[in-house]
Amino acid sequence: MAGSLGTLTTHVLNTGMGVPAANVALVLYRQDSSTNAWTLITSGTTNDDGRCPGLITKEQFTAGVYKLHFETAQYWASMGETSFYPYVEIVFTINDPEQKYHVPLLLSRFSYSTYRGS
Amino acid sequence: MAAAVSSPLTTHVLNTGDGIPASKMAVTLHRLDSELKIWNMLGVGTTNEDGRCSGLISQEAFTSGMYKLRFETGSYWESRGQTSFFPYVEVVFTITDPGQRFHLPLLMSQFSYSTYRGS
Repeated sequence: MAGSLGTLTTHVLNTGMGVPAANVALVLYRQDSSTNAWTLITSGTTNDDGRCPGLITKEQFTAGVYKLHFETAQYWASMGETSFYPYVEIVFTINDPEQKYHVPLLLSRFSYSTYRGS
Repeated sequence: MAAAVSSPLTTHVLNTGDGIPASKMAVTLHRLDSELKIWNMLGVGTTNEDGRCSGLISQEAFTSGMYKLRFETGSYWESRGQTSFFPYVEVVFTITDPGQRFHLPLLMSQFSYSTYRGS
């Protein structure tokens, strides 16, 4: 059977400055359901539009608990700014890998938010 | 000197999906041991009817460092018979000046959350 139809994407936005957050290093992990250890799936960097295509292949995208780790302090530091958060981690559950999941990060130096989007 | 000084670090959890404070949610506070690189749990509490959790840490214990607030949001939604996209929420932050007050709210629904450094 072919891989899932579902996808996982992210989008990092710098809400403090009203721009996409480019060159943010990020890592996607999946939790091993028996050991609870985190397995690295992909590491990447956001592009000029704050996106990171190719986070996970359809074959890899199975049901489970995932974690997106964003190197946000590194991002702010590269612009000479401090930040309240050294990094942001978002842990989420994928029950149906046939669906599309969009997990954005809206980020300022002293706040952030995320949601399940499409 | 006033007695019962409130914690220098406070939180407030709001259920934005239902428009109510999130009560009876377990919250733990941890600090990173910078040498061993492990998290030490400092305090545990449960949010009250107003979604607040007091006494997470004393002023004396509140030193500079990297902290983590972990909110058992998945258990909260489960207790309400609702599902959630996030099994829990962890907010990691850096304290460089423990003389200040830090208010870290969590505004959350089943499929979204936000946090900010407040006062």
